[in-house]
Amino acid sequence: MYRFRLMLSLAVAVIAACSSPGAAIAPSRAPLAEGAGLSIRPITTIAAKILSPLELRALVARPFSVVRSESGEQRIRQVLVGVSGVEVLRVESALDGSLRLIASRGVALEGGALSESAAIARALRHLMRLGLEMPGGGPVVQSAAGRTLVNWTREVRGVLVPGDGTRVVLSGSGELVGLSLEVSPLAVPPVRITRADAALRAATALVPGDAVVDEASELAWVLPTNEMGEGSSVRPLRRLAWCVSGALRDGTPFVLQLDAGSLALLGWDGAP
Amino acid sequence: MVGAVLLAAAITLAPPAESATVFANRTAFAETCTGTANTFPDRLARQARTALAALGWEVGGAVGPAFTRRAMVAGASSAAFYVHSHGGLYWDAKFNSRAGGFRADGGLCLGAPIVLPSEIASIRRGSPAASLVFISSCHNGERASRLPGAFGIAQRKVQGSNEPGSFYVSYVGTAWQGAALRFERAFWQALLEGASAGAAFDRALLSTYNPAHLTPEWWGGYGHLPHAPSAELPDLGGRRYV
Repeated sequence: MYRFRLMLSLAVAVIAACSSPGAAIAPSRAPLAEGAGLSIRPITTIAAKILSPLELRALVARPFSVVRSESGEQRIRQVLVGVSGVEVLRVESALDGSLRLIASRGVALEGGALSESAAIARALRHLMRLGLEMPGGGPVVQSAAGRTLVNWTREVRGVLVPGDGTRVVLSGSGELVGLSLEVSPLAVPPVRITRADAALRAATALVPGDAVVDEASELAWVLPTNEMGEGSSVRPLRRLAWCVSGALRDGTPFVLQLDAGSLALLGWDGAP
Repeated sequence: MVGAVLLAAAITLAPPAESATVFANRTAFAETCTGTANTFPDRLARQARTALAALGWEVGGAVGPAFTRRAMVAGASSAAFYVHSHGGLYWDAKFNSRAGGFRADGGLCLGAPIVLPSEIASIRRGSPAASLVFISSCHNGERASRLPGAFGIAQRKVQGSNEPGSFYVSYVGTAWQGAALRFERAFWQALLEGASAGAAFDRALLSTYNPAHLTPEWWGGYGHLPHAPSAELPDLGGRRYV
């Protein structure tokens, strides 16, 4: 199936590169990959929902390409550029047509700070306008460098998948800077999950004797540290792990990720 | 006395305006110090080196014990600067306040020498503002950190007219390495695709880092393109974004 998809996507890319004149001056409602049998939402349709009519003028759709995302997923990338060749909008979809990323060009920094409730309302409005599924649960709102991030972290049977989920990035005035929808593949969970106290003991044995290990540990779907991307052609699976936090003698916090079944060390994270 | 020697060394070894420096502290995160193997510093430094070289910079610096205070002093006058290490709001007697800074490697688990903003400011006195500074550490994205100023970058965000030709990135509060690796990878990738520094930052906010583990911050010019002055912009087939 995977090979079939790969071949299909390559064929689509070749067809697009050879046949598209790259001249979707005005938003078109014609599905970009219709001829190839892929149901990918055309970037022009998305642009019409995000950009003003004035901004839409003279935009050109580049032939789309097959790329691998930072998380290793194969995606179809569509790009709209302005007359000066400046990229205005980027859209990435999974091979099954699911929208994964929308990134607008330099959205203005001006605007007041959004309250938490206003940010959530704005984020939901953007998702609704784009016809995307409303994420479940309450989001976490965070400010970073004049932008507001509204994050719905994915949960699988009550266990967090950190970094996965829906993220909407807004400007100070609530304009959409971009959104991402990440769904990592998960490994089969262990048949038997080790008890938390056993994970604490295993973690204590791993760290230096003068380090402090927290009493609490929690389950999460993590990406083993050594499998974090870097151009790998294989998309790594997240694994169910006990995350045990603590601090080294100098106060440096750390988290050990131990396989929830075997307690094998999957990863280490620290804070410089 | 030590300061004068370091300053003299810095002047003697002052790199040209085309140079970039990448430092990473490996020892403090190594197995001998933490109990588990950690490849984050090497990977973060490799990402930075690769990207800066592709942007036309002549990249120097050091990873591991060779990242000494002296090496840092020699590299601090570069036009592009990256460091991954422990950072904090350390006491800076020159400012009579806590003012930011980071630790060198020096081959030490604990107590490695601290590099303060006032020292970097001394080394860089008379130099133009740096083009790109990325302090991959805790706390140096906070307003209290004087590191941006030490590199000649004011703590303001400018977009549109009168943008400064410089960009500073760091993190607020505690910054976890796993999240930093993903954020930084996306930032460098966007720069290599022709994004301005501000647009690359926005793009990186959409990457898969855990937002509970990282709060990035920037100062400078949103539309700044941090290529080496003599480097030609990458051929993007007429495409770039601002």
